Amino acid sequence: MISFLIRRLLASIVLLFVISAITFLLLSAPHTDVGRVLLGQAAEQSLVDAKNAELGLNQPVLVQYLTWLGNALRGDLGSSWFTSENVLSAIGNRIPVTLSLMVGVTLITAVVSFALGIWAGVRRGAADRFVQIIGVVGYALPGFLVTLIMVLVFAVQLRWFPAIGYVDFFTSPAGWLSTVTLPILALSVGSIAGVSQQVRASVIEVMRKDYVRTLRSRGLSPRRIIFRHVLRNASAPALTVLGMQFVGMLGGAVIVEQIFGLPGIGSMTVSYTTRGDIPIIMGLVMFTVIGVVVINLLVDVVVSWLNPKARLA
Amino acid sequence: MKLGKWSGFAALTLATGVLLSGCAGAAQSPAASDTLNIATLSIPQSLDPTAATGSNVPFFQAVYDTLIRRQANGDFTPMLATKWEYNADNTQLTLTLRDDVKFHDGTPFNAEAVKANMDRFRTSTGGDSKGLKNISEITVVDPTHVTITLSAPDPSLLFRLSDSAGLMANPAAFANPDALKTTPDGTGPYQLDKSKTVIGTKWVYDRDPKYWGDKLPYQTLTLSVFDNENAIVNGLKTGQIDTALLQSADQRAAAKQDAQLKIQDSNVDVQSIILFDRAGAMVPALGDARVRQALNYAIDRDTMLKQIRQGLGTTTSQMFGTDTLGYDKSLDNYYTHDPKKAKELLAEAGYANGFDLTLPRMAAIVDDALAASLKADFAAVGVKLTWQDVDQATALKQIFTDKGFPGLVLSLGQPANDWLMISSQLLPGSFNIFGYTDPEATELVNKIQHESVADSKADAQALNKHIVEQGWFVPFYRQTYALVTDGSVNVTQQSGMAVPSIYNYTPAK
Amino acid sequence: MSDPIPDSTAAIALAPTARPVTAFRRFLSKPLAVAAAIVLALVVLVAIFAPLLAPFDPGASSLKDAFGPADGTHLLGFDSAGRDVFSRLIWGAQNTMSGAGIALIVALVLGIPTGLIAGYYGRWFDSASSWIVNLVMSLPAMVVLLASRAILGPTVWVLMIVMGVLVAPSFFRLVRGIVGNVRNELYVDAARVSGLRDWRIIGRHVFIVVRAPIIIQVALVAGVAIGLQAGLEFLGISSGDTPTWGAMLNEAFQNIQRAPLLLLWPGLALGLTSASLVLLASGLSDVLGERGAPAARRRKNKNAAPADVVPSTSVPAPETRGALLSIRDLAVSYELADGSDREVVHGINLDIEPGEILGLVGESGSGKSQTAFSILGILPEGGSVSRGSVTIQGTEVIGLAEKKHRELRGTVVAYVPQEPMSNLDPSFTIGDQLAEPLRVRLGLSKQAAKARVLELLQMVEIADPARTFAAYPHEISGGMAQRVLIAGAMSCDPDLLVADEPTTALDVTVQAEVLSLLRRLRADRGIGVLIVTHNLGVVADLCDRVAVMQQGRIVEQGTTEQILVTPEHPYTRQLLGAALDGVDARPEWQPRSTEVSA
Repeated sequence: MISFLIRRLLASIVLLFVISAITFLLLSAPHTDVGRVLLGQAAEQSLVDAKNAELGLNQPVLVQYLTWLGNALRGDLGSSWFTSENVLSAIGNRIPVTLSLMVGVTLITAVVSFALGIWAGVRRGAADRFVQIIGVVGYALPGFLVTLIMVLVFAVQLRWFPAIGYVDFFTSPAGWLSTVTLPILALSVGSIAGVSQQVRASVIEVMRKDYVRTLRSRGLSPRRIIFRHVLRNASAPALTVLGMQFVGMLGGAVIVEQIFGLPGIGSMTVSYTTRGDIPIIMGLVMFTVIGVVVINLLVDVVVSWLNPKARLA
Repeated sequence: MKLGKWSGFAALTLATGVLLSGCAGAAQSPAASDTLNIATLSIPQSLDPTAATGSNVPFFQAVYDTLIRRQANGDFTPMLATKWEYNADNTQLTLTLRDDVKFHDGTPFNAEAVKANMDRFRTSTGGDSKGLKNISEITVVDPTHVTITLSAPDPSLLFRLSDSAGLMANPAAFANPDALKTTPDGTGPYQLDKSKTVIGTKWVYDRDPKYWGDKLPYQTLTLSVFDNENAIVNGLKTGQIDTALLQSADQRAAAKQDAQLKIQDSNVDVQSIILFDRAGAMVPALGDARVRQALNYAIDRDTMLKQIRQGLGTTTSQMFGTDTLGYDKSLDNYYTHDPKKAKELLAEAGYANGFDLTLPRMAAIVDDALAASLKADFAAVGVKLTWQDVDQATALKQIFTDKGFPGLVLSLGQPANDWLMISSQLLPGSFNIFGYTDPEATELVNKIQHESVADSKADAQALNKHIVEQGWFVPFYRQTYALVTDGSVNVTQQSGMAVPSIYNYTPAK
Repeated sequence: MSDPIPDSTAAIALAPTARPVTAFRRFLSKPLAVAAAIVLALVVLVAIFAPLLAPFDPGASSLKDAFGPADGTHLLGFDSAGRDVFSRLIWGAQNTMSGAGIALIVALVLGIPTGLIAGYYGRWFDSASSWIVNLVMSLPAMVVLLASRAILGPTVWVLMIVMGVLVAPSFFRLVRGIVGNVRNELYVDAARVSGLRDWRIIGRHVFIVVRAPIIIQVALVAGVAIGLQAGLEFLGISSGDTPTWGAMLNEAFQNIQRAPLLLLWPGLALGLTSASLVLLASGLSDVLGERGAPAARRRKNKNAAPADVVPSTSVPAPETRGALLSIRDLAVSYELADGSDREVVHGINLDIEPGEILGLVGESGSGKSQTAFSILGILPEGGSVSRGSVTIQGTEVIGLAEKKHRELRGTVVAYVPQEPMSNLDPSFTIGDQLAEPLRVRLGLSKQAAKARVLELLQMVEIADPARTFAAYPHEISGGMAQRVLIAGAMSCDPDLLVADEPTTALDVTVQAEVLSLLRRLRADRGIGVLIVTHNLGVVADLCDRVAVMQQGRIVEQGTTEQILVTPEHPYTRQLLGAALDGVDARPEWQPRSTEVSA
């Protein structure tokens, strides 16, 4: 286990390096004229050149990258070109927002999907068809449409929740809950659709296993068989999918954050990438890659605990 | 389960949502509070005054005072400067300053501070720094008097001193080049509440109890930044936002459905094709004024306004704004929709068979309807318009830095100040990126620059007429934006600006 | 980076012999999937023939008509630019589907060959490609999309190519996982031994295995690509001038107040297509993945025996019923997908006295196991006892409430399954699995249960009970697993053991040991045993009496000596004849550790 973790760590560090280089290259390649974007469309060329020089953009890309890397290794991710905010604090300010969504959605998805998936997989019949319909509908409905409808109905019309904005959990837990509830629900629809299908499929598969029959032959109750044996064996693939959903949610969060005016890292990624704010984007990329690495590691550890065959060695 | 069932349901739900939103309102009446929440789409690069430009100036007005206060109607009134006086040939401006204003650390505001600020501003790489390029020297006469010497007259100088270039920061903060970016230090009515501010998202300002001037009506001022107007309208409807400017006609319609929301029209931007290549270097046809006139005759402005902007705006053929001296109402209808005349003009110019024109298309500015209608209108007179899609990230480089296109569809602000308009839209450099001019324009510009603003009306109108006749632009219409409040705030528009100054808000009675 | 988790969809690994004809027929029996396939076929046809079908040029605009209502020639009216919505919808089908197609082709071209090679050869290529895949999956998709678009230009094709690259890992992992699993399968081995070249093995044997999961994944990814394209449009990451459904939806959204109905058509097209894709995928995975498992239906009137079925037992029922187990006129039916029933056991009679060992012999498919399951009440889904009577120690179990029947299981009648490995829960230690019934059924404490389990393991002659107690199923051998299962069956001290081919999967020496174990158990505890087998050697070795089963009927029943020495039924003689060849059809079971790449 220890050696596994060490190897994982080393691999992740290499991954981080390679991804940082790829991203930097990708971001630098189109030569977005940052100076001009900063100064306004019709700014005089001399001024634009001066601005670009000020930001070090007149240097070769490799030099720019190495400069960034050198600073990053010392813990200095720099400041945004477009808002002057420190990259670390900018990301630190926004991560709680997106993390609230992601954790909330993951929890809800896990609970609801497992409940639905087990229900469908065990009962089959009408329950199964119902869950499959939920899956199809959740999958086919465009996410942004669901979100827009939810805002219109529950925020603008019924006034049950605020339509926009985010309240920090530590400022006001109730405020936090009211601001994240709708976004979480909106994001959960698609997520539940996907994961519940996976749980259902896994449950059905496990229910057909010989050992389930053998367990029945020993007089164990169905409840015990389902919740102790079937659930555990069906969890591994479902958790893997859940992990992927968690990571993939960063993309889905963009739309929800924009519609709810939430200052999260999803909408940040889009708006800062289009502007070409390399310091912020590089910071974001580093954070998300670390997040992905951690999530994958977590999933692997949990899956290995669930499934002794998948040894972490 | 029938296949279509859920889709129908989705559509139904959607339709219900839209209908429901139609009968919104009356849920809660927004109370006038001591906090003003303004939503905006623009974002300041920092709170260092050198970064102040155009529509983000309100972010600065809260913490910095300007030398001259510009009233909502455009009149100049005293602020940090109590008096200003030009010499005879408009090359020297002398400012008389207040002697009772101090920065927060006790540093006095005086002539030295003005010189330090303005010198720093004009040598910075800020977007507006070029606005002070005519200044040759700033001299401190005594602590309350400063003289600005110009290499050439600048009829927009007073405006600039009431705008970004007039923002006065504490010179003590200049030692550290990054200090003011996130820790503004001025003499303004508010102070930035750094604990509540999330840069890039929300700026929160608290009233400075020791402010030297008249306090503003709100204890707290919040400027929130959004990516899209849809979220803003929802926030206005739920009372989470007090006021905002909406550009999209459809979002205006959404706001209009809520009886609680008050909407004022704001005519600031004019949308046009800026023809960069007036010399015909890239597209020879454009070098002929008759061709440019033909393009102006080719487009059907009335239909465009009706269908694209839902009729919100005024069709026009001129670029000068209604608040300028050069504005001439009759020029609004100078070009009519006359494809026949357009064809004749093209034939006269030797382009009876038309020519090819490629323009860049940024989806955010040129929507499907505009793209399609221009293409169709031009095609009707034989001009083959090709839209080249450009990515938002690289568009500015392709268009402005690389000068890769003969023209551009853009919405431009219409400053209230003539010289501001001339220097940002007509003079070489600025939006005249190919640097074209003609003798008559040069002469008129020269005259306007050197005469006093009060005397320049005739020349400004002549210049305007010349530009229109020569077809430097293909203007479509002035767009009506919606200045929306949730009913708890009264707001007065700022002349020549899309976004009101922070002084223009008062609680509704 | 280590990747111990097989791709979730790898679970749908298929045997290489799925016959297309039956698969197709099964597919036709799923109305939803068929409807989805028809919708998709229509969409594809519309896409292909868009130039012929669309009445107008999708770009032709007449601003005067913007938002105009439908009329005779413009079936769905006009959009915000005065273009024909119907024509754009049709061209949208072409562009949207080809966009998804491009994403798929890129993903397939990148993902499948690499997955095949990595899964088949492993070694450095596997390590390297897995690392790259991890890299791609960790890339911030949104940043890559936006940056590539800035570099390559804002068209829908660029977006889709990049998306193809980003989803290629899902195909890679799918293929690699399945191929890795089948690499050491016998038929692949056989192909290798017979001298086939690697690429032919991959092409002929391995590719067939991954074909179905790939088809399913293709449907899912196509749906994702279409949905994502619409989402990107919504964010203003547009696909330029190309009329796609996503672009239409976004354009409609920009004018939602003025013309909300414009959202309907592209939304409907997108929703229908994605829904059809996911329905098709799920239908395909049912058809190809479940291999004809009977449709899931709960049976009502489980035990209402149809009166008109005439018992057709060859051997007449004895007058007195067996004290331990007695079966009379037992019939088992399965419900088929089309709703009809198929009887697989046609009314049989069996009796076992305490301490007696009865062998139930017959070839596979003769209904032996179904009989055994009926006694225990653990028939698979879809199967049920359609008539007859089964008594255990005089208690009628047919029609008995499930809960009452459950109380008999383990403590009165216990079950020893056929395949040792697949009958142990891989996620729990041996000790855990054996202790569970003791604690749940007998209410033993944790310590007491453990002590009893160790005792049981000793009883079944396991050398190191403590080690086996702590081991996971994959860590022990097949013979040991079979002993563990016997221990599990014996744990609650039953009176009747139902052993379903308990030795088939074992090699000869272990077989003998297990048989002697059963004998000893009978001797020590006096339990009765119903042993289901096709191996007459086992019968001769162990049984007191034998029943011969053929096609769901018992054709002959008698003492072991009678049957073996003087068989009466031709089928019995045939069985005896075949036994002389001594060929065992089933391959030897071997433990196979899951390979973990590092």
